[in-house]
Amino acid sequence: MSIEIRNISKTFGSFVALRDVSLSVPAGELVALLGPSGSGKTTLLRIIAGLEVADSGSVLFDGQDSTVRRIGDRQVGFVFQHYALFRHMTVFENVAFGLRVRPRHERPSKAEIERRVQELLELVHLGSLAKRYPSQLSGGQRQRIALARALAVEPKVLLLDEPFGSLDAKVRQELRRWLRQLHDELQITGIFVTHDQEEALEVADQVVVMNEGQVEQVGTPEEVYDQPATPFTYNFLGSVNLFRGRVHEGRVQMGAIEMFAPEHIEVRHSVAVGYVRPHEMAVERQNGGESTIEATVRYLHAVGPTVRLELERSDGGDLIEAHLSKERYRELDLKIGETVFVKPQNLRVFVPDNYQI
Amino acid sequence: MADSIALRATAVAKAHPRARSEPAFARWALTGTALSFLGLFLILPLGVVFAEAFKKGIGAYLMAISQPEALAAVRLTLLVAALAVPLNLVFGVAASWAIAKFDFHGKNVLITIIDLPFAVSPVISGMIFVLLFGSQGLIGPWLAAHDLKVIFAGPGIVLTTVFVTFPFAARELIPLMQAQGSEEEEAALSLGASGWQTFLRITLPNIKWGLLYGAILANARAMGEFGAVSVVSGHIRGVTNTLPLHVEILYNEYNLSAAFAVASLLVLLALVTLVAKRIVEWKSGSELAAGRGESK
Repeated sequence: MSIEIRNISKTFGSFVALRDVSLSVPAGELVALLGPSGSGKTTLLRIIAGLEVADSGSVLFDGQDSTVRRIGDRQVGFVFQHYALFRHMTVFENVAFGLRVRPRHERPSKAEIERRVQELLELVHLGSLAKRYPSQLSGGQRQRIALARALAVEPKVLLLDEPFGSLDAKVRQELRRWLRQLHDELQITGIFVTHDQEEALEVADQVVVMNEGQVEQVGTPEEVYDQPATPFTYNFLGSVNLFRGRVHEGRVQMGAIEMFAPEHIEVRHSVAVGYVRPHEMAVERQNGGESTIEATVRYLHAVGPTVRLELERSDGGDLIEAHLSKERYRELDLKIGETVFVKPQNLRVFVPDNYQI
Repeated sequence: MADSIALRATAVAKAHPRARSEPAFARWALTGTALSFLGLFLILPLGVVFAEAFKKGIGAYLMAISQPEALAAVRLTLLVAALAVPLNLVFGVAASWAIAKFDFHGKNVLITIIDLPFAVSPVISGMIFVLLFGSQGLIGPWLAAHDLKVIFAGPGIVLTTVFVTFPFAARELIPLMQAQGSEEEEAALSLGASGWQTFLRITLPNIKWGLLYGAILANARAMGEFGAVSVVSGHIRGVTNTLPLHVEILYNEYNLSAAFAVASLLVLLALVTLVAKRIVEWKSGSELAAGRGESK
């Protein structure tokens, strides 16, 4: 089922949770709503589910206006951040709940319910825990039961609120991969909320970056990571180096860095900020000429496949972060305190709307 | 490292076993004071009630509590509790449901008003109903015209009892429901349950111990209420006398052993209430602990 969101706005008292958000999710895709807390991502998810009512705007399922449809009629499966398992019921009864509350003429027979629940429990690899109570399960197990319970009603859309938020790192990794597999098997439209950029980039087909109740950028994980459309996306997805300077008719001047940015050809005498990812900083021992910054190595972190350098600029003392491959690092044979020359390879220039950041 | 510190700590504790306790005379004095206070104000009165009740032998005791008037009082008390307690449970659940699960204007006013019956003196509670339903009261003439008796009759006693026991269930349930939040209800709705199904299958099982606890307290108060009921009852022997009122009448007639015999029934009720309350606390305590594990 495809989902379309048109001009949704929502306020809680004086707090604006969503301002004029529009978004479309094609059928069968797994989409991540990514943003810091307070960015409105959970509110948007709850509005799609029907747990919250938007102040204005509409939600369309498969092209049909479903803004005022009751949650029970939307055919959505919702997985809550803290699972919201029914604490007084066994795992089996939790999963069976959605089938048992159906009107009599739609309700499957007892044997059929039993078969379906067992099947779902096998799907989430917890077939042996049917008689346990939620309090007897680990966090990862609860999460999977919550998912099985949501899938029991055969939803057309699966909505997950911070699905791995309260699990430890190892379990999170496993469940992430497992969710991706499950999604590919079931061919179901899925939307999940997360504040963890790594999670969004690894699991989702499309990432929706949200900030202060607005959508900053929508794109594939590669797009939002490699071509961030806004300074916010740059900052939120991974670490970044900032350069401040000026731009005039496309010509950018940031300290030693000079370059041409055709997208700013119409900007006249303005403040500008340049963004470079740490792995896009070329580090040399010799001065490479134009647009090169002299810096001193302050800190070296050489654990893992990439080596992280903290450099202090010779002009002004600002800190720069650079990531090198292990081979390059050996080639350069760097030590703390040595002088190097860095050159940004892919500088994105943004002109702030209000002349300050 | 941590082990060695722990070992050293026990060694120190052994070397000075009394380092952290008071001197002997202070311990004896404190414990003695507490125990004599307990004995004087709780145990002794209990004993006196039973001692007085059985003073003229078990035969006189059985006689006193099987008097037709005493039996009528028992019947009326049971009837009043049987009507007032369920009514309060319904009101209590409705009010706490509204307060805990929804946001609306005037919520704090509602929470305060629910406590009103605890704040006013029981006599005032009785007076309120006399002023409303009495022959000189607001609705009194209309009731008289339709030949309905409220004051100095059963309905007045039930109304007053409902009023004074009103906060018990709500007080118990509001914090419980607020702590539980509404995620489980939302989950049930998202799985296609109707509002009524959600209430019966999710909300009610989650609050059952709190509800039972409230019912036990409300029941104890409903059976034991004196002041408010005294104002509206009219003290008609064998008709509008509840147990506490009957005790008073017997006492005022210097029929001490009969008064204490009937009073012993109320004391027994109190003891049963305490035991039931303890069991519910213990039961719900173990379930709350399980619930807490669930939310982590």
